[in-house]
Amino acid sequence: MAMTISSRSWPLWVALGWVLLASTPARADTAAQIIARTDEVRNPQQPFHTTVTLVEYVSGRKRDQNTLTVYAKTDPRTHQFRNLVQYVAPPRDAGKRVLLGGGALWFYDPASKTSVRISPAQQLVGQAAIGDVLTVNLAADYGATLLGSESIEDAGRTRRECWHVQLEATDDLATYSRVEYWVEQGTYLPIKADFYSDSGRLLKIAYYRGFTRILGTTRPTQTVIIDAVDKSLATVATSADYGYQDIPDTWFQRDYLPHLETR
Amino acid sequence: MTRAIRRGLLLLALAWSGAVVAQSDSDLALIPPDSQSPPKLSQHRAEQNIYLENALTGVSLRDALPVAAPPSYDWQERLLLDVRDGWQVGRTARLILSDRLNLRAESDLSFPGRENVVNDLREAYVEWRLADQTYLAFGRINLKSGIALGYNPTDYFKARTVSEPLSADPTVLREDRLGTVMLRFQHISRRGSVTLAFAPRLRRQSPIYSNTGLSSFDPMPGRTNSENRFLLKSSIDLSRNASPELLIYHDGHATRLGLNVSTTLGQSVVAYLEESVARRRDLIAEALDFGRATGALPPSAPDEPPPSPDRSLKNALAIGASYTTSNRVTWNLEYHLDQAGFTSQDWNRWFRSGSAVAAAPVTADELWYIRGYALDQQEQSTEQTAFLRADWTDAFGLKLELSGFADVDLRDGSGQAQAEADYYLSDAWTLGFLAAGDFGSKRSDFGSLHSACSALLSVRRYF
Repeated sequence: MAMTISSRSWPLWVALGWVLLASTPARADTAAQIIARTDEVRNPQQPFHTTVTLVEYVSGRKRDQNTLTVYAKTDPRTHQFRNLVQYVAPPRDAGKRVLLGGGALWFYDPASKTSVRISPAQQLVGQAAIGDVLTVNLAADYGATLLGSESIEDAGRTRRECWHVQLEATDDLATYSRVEYWVEQGTYLPIKADFYSDSGRLLKIAYYRGFTRILGTTRPTQTVIIDAVDKSLATVATSADYGYQDIPDTWFQRDYLPHLETR
Repeated sequence: MTRAIRRGLLLLALAWSGAVVAQSDSDLALIPPDSQSPPKLSQHRAEQNIYLENALTGVSLRDALPVAAPPSYDWQERLLLDVRDGWQVGRTARLILSDRLNLRAESDLSFPGRENVVNDLREAYVEWRLADQTYLAFGRINLKSGIALGYNPTDYFKARTVSEPLSADPTVLREDRLGTVMLRFQHISRRGSVTLAFAPRLRRQSPIYSNTGLSSFDPMPGRTNSENRFLLKSSIDLSRNASPELLIYHDGHATRLGLNVSTTLGQSVVAYLEESVARRRDLIAEALDFGRATGALPPSAPDEPPPSPDRSLKNALAIGASYTTSNRVTWNLEYHLDQAGFTSQDWNRWFRSGSAVAAAPVTADELWYIRGYALDQQEQSTEQTAFLRADWTDAFGLKLELSGFADVDLRDGSGQAQAEADYYLSDAWTLGFLAAGDFGSKRSDFGSLHSACSALLSVRRYF
């Protein structure tokens, strides 16, 4: 039997269609699309620099502060970011540099003037592992599964409708084995992430906040990283001083590390 | 599905969502209050590193050594100003300076005196950017190579450069050293780099310096530029986990071929190999030749212990791995080999000659000269050692860095060990304590050294 829309019932059908349209974009996104879009929200996809300040807290009290300059550019082959990080403060660490280029991590110390390969687990500063501070495209290193929709509170205790996405590492150099990730529907803003080890142990909890319009997009400017093993420890990473910058590919060679000219 | 089952599932779902919210709430409570305001940005220049340090060292000396050792200080007080900085000159040039001014007093120095002031001009050079990623540098440059921690056989410009270090940690020795006057060309491409360096002969080679014979403001080119030397090295990215570096070095004595390669294994392990091969004489022969050439040993000084008569292909390598634990301690374990070092036979002869110097044709000073030469060259005295180092930043959740190492002679089990603690009182102030000791029998490599143990207390102010 052919279905027809009677003239009297069309407003109902339009309203129903509107409701369906309004509710289905979330379903139209695959997990991979969600992660790719939230990657674009977290980080500009053109070469850029930013200054990251890491403040460590112990039992809620500020203990230490470090400042780093990060230069980032995507590798067109892998779609993953390459990063060059320079320590700015405190003075005892000034001039030290970390390079993530082509999947390898290198550390340069201006005192010894040598570049040595380091592992992702080696600590950068405070509770932040190197992988926490480096700019990464999660879509390049993790396989994503959409677990469903959830309403969770963000760092400011505002309730947000989120996609709950589970990420499993597909790359050996991914900092964490598994990530549970909550992304706000519609805006693709990251709200919260739980990071797990190979053994399934919850290592860190991250909340994203300070959503500000930067370089054309609303992005999080603060990440609160909570140590899930020792919950008295937390690090707040604040990004500022963003700018697009032409970064040659050769900057991501380890032998370039001594030549980095500060802005 | 019956209504009861549907109702049960609904309750379960509600209970689960309640658990999720509860967990979320408890996580939110962990966010430090008052952490939302953006921190003040640092105005410090990243290239600048200046500090003033005061260090007091006490040393316990051994008595009745099988080979009587030269005298040494048993206390030392040092005040040092350490400066590293760089300045942009025009659009394409940079000036780099690295210097340390020492004021020192110690038990074997008179005070006041010329030797109480020693300036170490580590680096002073200009670097021009000739084109994108092509650089030419001239001046006193610290050109370092090698990826191992405890021993760097491919660090060809390390010889004779260490200047009065406060620590025996090999990672610190790489910092407290003089550069070499050289012309250095470097080109960096997307797949690797090429470096070419030429260090000219500027002065006749000087004898091995003792801590009581240092000049105050002499840059000492007789240590760093006593012969023409060339280095060509190149690294290439074969894959993301393999970017070997090859080196060719030539000086008046030999041509050496070197290799550095490292790879990451998973999240926590880095494995590495550093190797150098050359056709050369052994350490004893090189030390005796150097001593006679510089006048430190008389021309008639006997070949004791007897050196190898000929040059032969000798291998020097450091192979090891680093491992970072879940509580952020990084361990490095390395095996070191230097085929030019003392063999068991050499050690036996060294102790036998030293025990009977009255009857032997050699003096104790001449025997110690060989080991002093190895130290001056930063080469191993012995053939095989094992090296273990640990570093723990933010130890016990405090602003404390703990590090330590042990270097063990695999022939006799003797060794040296050191533990160091640095407590960061603030961004500007650091308090340091270091304890070091040598262990082993009196007729062993490290057990025969004059110094038994030492302790150092330091305070450092960064600017």
